[in-house]
Amino acid sequence: MITIEKLHKQFGEVEVLRGIDLTVAAHETVCVIGPSGSGKSTLLRCINGLEAITSGTITVGGIDIGASKNNLAEVRKETGMVFQQFNLFPHMTARENVAFAPMRVRGLSKAEAQDRANRLLERVGLSEKGDSFPSQLSGGQQQRVAIARALAMEPKVMLFDEPTSALDPEIVGEVLDTMRTLAEEGMTMVVVTHEMGFAREVSDRVVFMDQGQVVEIATPQEMFGSPKQERTKSFLDKVL
Amino acid sequence: MFIEQLLGLLRAAGWTLALCVSAGVAGTIIGFLLGVGQVSKIVVLRWITTAYVTVIRGVPVLLLIFFVYFGIPVLFAVDLAPFLAGFVALTVVAAAYMGETFRGAIQAVPRGQFEAAEALGVRYLDRTFRVIMPQALRIAVPSLTGYLINLVKDSSLIGIIGFVELTRAAKILSNLTLDPLGAFLMAAVIYFMISFTISRIGVAVERKLAPKSKASSRKLATTAIPAGN
Repeated sequence: MITIEKLHKQFGEVEVLRGIDLTVAAHETVCVIGPSGSGKSTLLRCINGLEAITSGTITVGGIDIGASKNNLAEVRKETGMVFQQFNLFPHMTARENVAFAPMRVRGLSKAEAQDRANRLLERVGLSEKGDSFPSQLSGGQQQRVAIARALAMEPKVMLFDEPTSALDPEIVGEVLDTMRTLAEEGMTMVVVTHEMGFAREVSDRVVFMDQGQVVEIATPQEMFGSPKQERTKSFLDKVL
Repeated sequence: MFIEQLLGLLRAAGWTLALCVSAGVAGTIIGFLLGVGQVSKIVVLRWITTAYVTVIRGVPVLLLIFFVYFGIPVLFAVDLAPFLAGFVALTVVAAAYMGETFRGAIQAVPRGQFEAAEALGVRYLDRTFRVIMPQALRIAVPSLTGYLINLVKDSSLIGIIGFVELTRAAKILSNLTLDPLGAFLMAAVIYFMISFTISRIGVAVERKLAPKSKASSRKLATTAIPAGN
């Protein structure tokens, strides 16, 4: 579903991604872990073109995002993204947030879009909150609305950029539960996370990144049980 | 006698109002475009709009009025009526200040808002007018109100090129009645009433655009922190 080849990304003189190769199969959940500044968020943001790539290729669903602006627009329609800071639109209700892109991008009628929004809000357990503004919701509720908003475009791939890092510990669970369900339903997911428990339980494969490179890719059992690389070991020793 | 004088001043106040409303509306529209231009991806557009704002803000309003009233006839061989010259000069100034206000407001909308819309595949126009602008407007309203009040006061300078607006009318009245205190006091009260009305309208608009609960502004502030990595 996603193929990344020889991806390099530079911010000015600083090379944040130094040759990434990674493929993600359809229906697979891949968690990306690693220390701060390792480039994991940048990698994720390259996949839907929020960051322009310096060199290399990324294809999503067979479409090369770097080939044309049109391709990038196509890929964005098929790719949902969930941000650390939620980034809900504060001047719209939860329902309007979810219905916005289907109406404006997919051309659904208002009634159809609202209908879809209601179904998705129910799916993330917030059917009561459709008329609430983001400011009236807790962080966990906001993040679940953000997940519903991304799903409203019926994406083939979901990208999660540290979705629980801005949440209080006691409400992290509700967001992770929503994501777990999504993974079980067969969504293709790439999750940048510090939640090692989630990575171990939910992912099919775990990617460990450090200093702009993929150090190790393994199943959760191998990664957390017997990591092969020295750098992986020392990182996991610190966080586990 | 008193009634007659007051009516004369009120007529002049009407002209002041006409000047301010027309220049205020035109200035806001042009200012909005200048603000959008200043944050545009197109370098030339950014350059031109920024240069305009910087130059105009650096020149005294009175000088601009002289420039339009006396300078344009020299340049283009057309005479401008004092009202038209006043309107043009005030619009030019208002646009510059409002352009700067709109630029600041647009840039104050958290970057994550652009990115969220971009990630959803929302196109430029929808992104600008349905996601960013409603939020930018809320941020801009207090400064815009403040600037409109300034505009009312700047309009008193138009009297210098011979247009009888409120301040000039008060001056004429004081010459007639030999009662400067009374004439200028009446003018001051009328200016205050205009300004006060504008500021009340500003507050009402601000309330209407405000997010729902008070806690929200604080929460919004935390969402403004850019994502790490």
